[in-house]
Amino acid sequence: MAVKGVSFTLQSNQILGLLGPNGSGKSTLMKSMVGIITPDAGAITVQGLDVASNPIEVKRIVGFVPESPRLYEFLSGSEYLDFVATVHGLGPEAKRERIPEFLKAFELEGRENELIHGYSQGMKQKLAIIAGILHKPRILILDEPLNALDPLSARIVKDLIHKLRDDGVPTVFSTHVLEIADAICDRIVIMYNGKTLADGTVEELRSKTGTEGSSLEEVFLKLTGTSDTREVVEALTR
Amino acid sequence: MNLRTVYSLAVVLTRSQIRGTQRNKFLARVFGEPRIILPVDVALLFGLGIVGYLILARTGNELRALLIPILPKALAGIPSAIMFMAILFGVLYEISQPIQSLNTDLVNWLPITPTEYVAGSTISESYIYSFILCLLLGVVLGPALAFGLGWTWLAAAVLSALALFIGAFVVEILDATTNRISSSFYGKSGRSGIIFRLVATVILLVFIQLLFSGYIIDYLLQSIIQAALFAWFMPVVWPSLAVLSASQGSTSGFFLFLASSIVFAAALFALAAQFRARFWVPVPVSIKLSTGIYRPARFRFPLVGAAESALIQKDLRSLTRRREMARFLAIPFVLAISMGISILPLGTGSTPQTPDFIFIAILYTLPVAIFVGALSMSSIGQEGYAVWNIYAAPIKPSQILRAKVLFAASLGLAFGTALLTIFAFLMNIVAAYYGVMLLIGVLVVLEASMLGVYYAARFPDFREMVRSRYVGVWGSLLGITTAFGASLVTIAPTAASIILYGELTSEFTIATVAVGIIIFLAGAKLALRQITDLFTNIRI
Repeated sequence: MAVKGVSFTLQSNQILGLLGPNGSGKSTLMKSMVGIITPDAGAITVQGLDVASNPIEVKRIVGFVPESPRLYEFLSGSEYLDFVATVHGLGPEAKRERIPEFLKAFELEGRENELIHGYSQGMKQKLAIIAGILHKPRILILDEPLNALDPLSARIVKDLIHKLRDDGVPTVFSTHVLEIADAICDRIVIMYNGKTLADGTVEELRSKTGTEGSSLEEVFLKLTGTSDTREVVEALTR
Repeated sequence: MNLRTVYSLAVVLTRSQIRGTQRNKFLARVFGEPRIILPVDVALLFGLGIVGYLILARTGNELRALLIPILPKALAGIPSAIMFMAILFGVLYEISQPIQSLNTDLVNWLPITPTEYVAGSTISESYIYSFILCLLLGVVLGPALAFGLGWTWLAAAVLSALALFIGAFVVEILDATTNRISSSFYGKSGRSGIIFRLVATVILLVFIQLLFSGYIIDYLLQSIIQAALFAWFMPVVWPSLAVLSASQGSTSGFFLFLASSIVFAAALFALAAQFRARFWVPVPVSIKLSTGIYRPARFRFPLVGAAESALIQKDLRSLTRRREMARFLAIPFVLAISMGISILPLGTGSTPQTPDFIFIAILYTLPVAIFVGALSMSSIGQEGYAVWNIYAAPIKPSQILRAKVLFAASLGLAFGTALLTIFAFLMNIVAAYYGVMLLIGVLVVLEASMLGVYYAARFPDFREMVRSRYVGVWGSLLGITTAFGASLVTIAPTAASIILYGELTSEFTIATVAVGIIIFLAGAKLALRQITDLFTNIRI
């Protein structure tokens, strides 16, 4: 069982950082929230819609970017975005307006007619992010979205998440880069072995662990019981 | 050249090839190690040799008299045949590589020299195809021992092994050359480059498939030695000529062609290493399809919504742009040519008589069922790991089903109509029979595409690997069998009409339509249930 007993409510003006070691169940939880994995027990509700019984309606209002997204490499960037926009029900006018705008914002303008096969990892990631927000979702679920992005694009994504939050579009955001989580998340959920280890603001987690004044990394390592890394480092350098 | 690196690389490449096609964990454990090939080789070689020897010992002189003049030519033909097969299989392997695997090849970033790579890769390829060599050598071992041609057999064995390596070196040279040519060509030519690649790949696949037809193999075997004698100056026939010299007792001829073959193999190895060093382009090719600004796609397939239309367009692009998908486009050509060869001897006589109608109906519907079945069975698995795009998109299972069925059916209808028109032209089929067969063809296309999608969703194979069928083995077998069965059941009422009344009656034609519709609707129900189940929980 990848995830068990996890429960939280995301407010409309929140950016929630989902943290946890590899294999802790973050991606499984996010896929369940989008409706591409059906939980054996429990319920997930997105904007009042039960995900299990309304998966199509939920997918219409969610913007999802998976970890290491695989795209259709035989399509060009613009063909891929056109495909995604069409299946989300966007008409020609909306596509004509939004697709070039996003391509320009993410510096893919001029490369949109090339096959995705020839794109770098960062370009593919940008394309996946555009595909996730193209249909103006009402909630964003982003699984390590800043992977492979250049600093400018990473900054654009972070600013976008903040802007959307201010407009009432919440975000669930997973990352292994704790500085980023510290900087942009309003609330942190730390998962470990498929369960919730901690839930709260960074300050609340600090006080809970008695690590006031220290970094989120220290809090995380203390909570997950992996703070003593000296032995590992010594073994590696032996 | 570091021999340890060469050995490790050969082991890894062999593992990667033999494990790439195995899903079953038990089979993967048993047959997933390179060492399994060795006992298989030994069993084939000596098992067939002993069986052949025992058969000859118990048979009369007639068979011996027949084999004695053929055997030296057969022994001499093995090196050329094995070289030819190594090149064919090697090229097929390269064509079947999924687009995603090309840039992640570990040799692009590990400290392995081109010489080490060529050595490791050719050892791996030769080792993998060694079972074919052992099969051929095993077949001739018994007769060779029985007729006192043991030394000639040994010479054939040594030179065939050398020929196997020569074939593998040629594949390496072709691989490096085509990699560079395609990198430069696609980079400049864009969309026309993709079309050219598609046409070239389809022609190559059709050519290779037809090479394995009985007529051609018979012709090749007959002419191989004759060709070798005429073309003695060509290095590729030197291994065969060395064996021929050994069989004729010409020691000087044997050593001359043996030495020449070794020098030729060494030269090819050096050339392959040079080509690898100079021409290999590990970076992905950037193919620009157009230079214009983005415009939303306007085309929409009739009868379906925008989402289904977008799915069909995507699948059509997948079929025409992915090298590994080109074999599906080659199927109609191979089938049409094979069927054409089969019916040509029937002549272009008058209107088909009673048995001819049934025969032609079966001959016509089976390739249509094969093509549509193969295409629709691949329709789900060919999404590969990018299938998450479908999982995450707000697309209903019924929309996916409509798109996949329409995709396979539209191509199947085009193929079916073209094939029937060729048949009508070759066999002078009258208009009424043409009309009924066309109707049967439409029904078979609809049934096969629906049943194919059911099996595609029931046994999907999303793995991105060489020679994937995009559907599990059981799915593939059951799917083709069901498509065959469905087409025969659909033909049955019209066939009964012909047998009972000597002509097509309207009642039996209506019965055929009813049977077709029932199978289609039953298939639709099954397929929808299966797609709904598949797209509930992501499986990658």
